[in-house]
Amino acid sequence: MHVSYNQKEVLKGINLSVEKGEVVSFIGPSGTGKTTLLKCINYLEKPQQGEIQIGDLHLNYQSLSKQDTLKLRRKTAMVFQMFNIFKHKTVIQNVMDAQIAVQKKSKNEAYAMSLKQLEKVGLKDKINEYPSRLSGGQLQRVGIARGLALEPELILFDEPTSALDPELVEEVLKVIEDVAKSGMTTLLVTHEMDFAKRISDKVVFMENGHIVEVGTPEQIFEKSVNVRTRQFLKKIYAEQDQQKLNIKGG
Amino acid sequence: MTMETGMQELLMEFLKTLPINIIIIILSAALGLLFAVLLTFVRLKRIPVISQLADLYVSFARSVPGLILLFIAYFGIPKVLPLIGLGTYVISPMHAAIISMGFYHSGYISEVFRPAYLAVEKSQHEAADSLGYTPMQKFFRIILPQMVPVALPGYGNALVYLIHDTSLIFAIGIVDIMGTAELSISRSYGINQILIYFIIALMFSAMCFTTDGLVRKLEKRVAIR
Repeated sequence: MHVSYNQKEVLKGINLSVEKGEVVSFIGPSGTGKTTLLKCINYLEKPQQGEIQIGDLHLNYQSLSKQDTLKLRRKTAMVFQMFNIFKHKTVIQNVMDAQIAVQKKSKNEAYAMSLKQLEKVGLKDKINEYPSRLSGGQLQRVGIARGLALEPELILFDEPTSALDPELVEEVLKVIEDVAKSGMTTLLVTHEMDFAKRISDKVVFMENGHIVEVGTPEQIFEKSVNVRTRQFLKKIYAEQDQQKLNIKGG
Repeated sequence: MTMETGMQELLMEFLKTLPINIIIIILSAALGLLFAVLLTFVRLKRIPVISQLADLYVSFARSVPGLILLFIAYFGIPKVLPLIGLGTYVISPMHAAIISMGFYHSGYISEVFRPAYLAVEKSQHEAADSLGYTPMQKFFRIILPQMVPVALPGYGNALVYLIHDTSLIFAIGIVDIMGTAELSISRSYGINQILIYFIIALMFSAMCFTTDGLVRKLEKRVAIR
């Protein structure tokens, strides 16, 4: 995949390619454009110019038709920071609906697929619950199952654990790790540094709308010679240590 | 003629003319709903000029009393049609009532639908978009079902106002229940005036209660759990 993107304010010329099956994490300070970049890939944000290629689909953002947009979105799935689960549908309906509407599957097929995905994320006993009765961690796992059920070529995680209570983070990370290890091409925006380090094939450090550095987790987290990368990591680790101290002290 | 048989006859007359009110209510509610859907769509789409005109229309419809709209429709339409080359046309009071009440109603409910649409969180749009729904699929499967519970209470209110406003249609010569009451009062030189108005009040009340009940039932059915 190849994304080039030019926009004065948020993203200033991004060029990146990802191999099939690769797991790529995006780290960097808040407001850097990581989420925007992810949303450009499925055109939830509209880049002013640039090109994207996913598999055999090659598109130019400047001449994107409505059909192109749908094609692009149907090759990707997104997991949102705020879960974005459909409020008026039960868990299984949330997972089934796009399969029926978008993929034109029969109800039975969609049901079977949804059940399989919900089982994978550990929610088989919640399939008939409404979203208002689920915890954030459970909602996020529904979101992941909903995306996976469409069998996308690429899954986009947009800070999937940032809105969760600390005790719920782990259950979601576990599911993401399973997805990443299944061979699904995965792009992940996260502030969970240890997690990014553990699961990624490639880590992208972004700042002010630029890609500062791309490398293996080892290169970025341990051997980076880039001053800004090191400053950022130092700050993050200091904050984490501070939190740990607070927990012990408190 | 004893007073009792007179009253019985009057009640029969009321029951005979009640369908006129009901027909006008149902048809203007349908016309209003159709037009309000169109209006709201145009207003939300923000199409230059057309959206502003729709906004203006809604403000106008909501700011002019129903009685005046009724007169404008009844006396105005026959004057305007020849001007735009549609020939001479005498509009029946029924048509004038349905058109004016329908358009009046549409202004109100467009102002119920628009906020209901806006009340659906952006996250729901994003999720549907990201999954590859077409705009139509997104609207009918995701957005509309979440709009309806928000819109229903306001819509029920607007229906009640519409029912009330049909008490004005006798002003252009329609003999509905209100017209029947007025005729009967003037025939009997004002005897039983209060009683007759009280009966009318009960009839309007009954129509409103029924509508309210139906809307409530619907509210329960579409509530988001």
